[in-house]
Amino acid sequence: MKRQQPIELFMPPNMLKAKVGGGLGGMDMGAMKRAESAMDGLKGQFSDWIASDVKALIEARANYAKKVDADTRGALLRRAHDIKGQAPTFDFPLIARVAGSLARMIGELPPATALPLSLIDAHVNAIQVIHKQNLKDTNDKIAQALCAELDARVDDVVKAATK
Amino acid sequence: MSNYRFDRLKVLVVDDNAHMRKLVVTILQAFGVIQIFEAETGDRAWHILRESNPDVIMLDWVMEGMSGLDLIQMIRTNPQTPNPFVPVIMLTGHTSLDHVARARDAGVNEFIAKPVSVKTVMSRLVAVIEHPRPYVRTLGYFGPCRRRRGVDEYRGPERRSESPKQQAAE
Repeated sequence: MKRQQPIELFMPPNMLKAKVGGGLGGMDMGAMKRAESAMDGLKGQFSDWIASDVKALIEARANYAKKVDADTRGALLRRAHDIKGQAPTFDFPLIARVAGSLARMIGELPPATALPLSLIDAHVNAIQVIHKQNLKDTNDKIAQALCAELDARVDDVVKAATK
Repeated sequence: MSNYRFDRLKVLVVDDNAHMRKLVVTILQAFGVIQIFEAETGDRAWHILRESNPDVIMLDWVMEGMSGLDLIQMIRTNPQTPNPFVPVIMLTGHTSLDHVARARDAGVNEFIAKPVSVKTVMSRLVAVIEHPRPYVRTLGYFGPCRRRRGVDEYRGPERRSESPKQQAAE
């Protein structure tokens, strides 16, 4: 069978390896140890960082409530997405889970479908409570039930909008 | 044991979240990287890229304005790009197969799924240094080969040869 289009496959010279060396390669354990220590040094700031991220989420929610458009929706998604990605590093896995649920809802609902403000608020309020009460235990029964309920409500909303 | 000269690397870190940039920069500095450039938007990253020609780019996907995917496509295909082969490591909270496929199609070399850890940053850096992907140019794509295997790894018969008879004879 003839190919439909030309395909060129080539290997550029490995300039990176020539630049940094590294012998046979592999993980640089000494560098990793230094980086773990540096991360430990940052831990004192994590509490302020998560507080600032939660504040930014609350502001994005307020802006979306004031004016529903692609920009405010995009900003809300970015804030939720940021928290989903960072909160585990800041030792707030439950916040990450709730933010992940919010990001999923915003990402999966078609752009023409308005986001349900009550469900956004349920997520934002849950994140605020988890943060204020410093809940970090992923086995906490109440937190688990709350996360499961939010997941289920997001499922319902997304199914209804996309069927 | 490896002994990389990370101090010789120039790395561009692109993320609209200052905390994430600080985290990644701290890890890179501890590895020994000295020349680190930071950008909080895709536009700013493109400007820095053309000025400083980094060796590696660590890039967030979800950003205001130009997204990480848009920036990668510019890096790979814009005539003004200083290096279309520059390794791009994408930092992302998106981990579904669909998202991974979209990033691969845009020309990403490696992924780091958030939350970021020291181990994953090191492992992806080592991957772009030690196991660079071959590059592919077709009418609709230019970037790293989207298959994990190396160019010359396959040693079997050519199943897409011009003649089916010849194929059968083999």
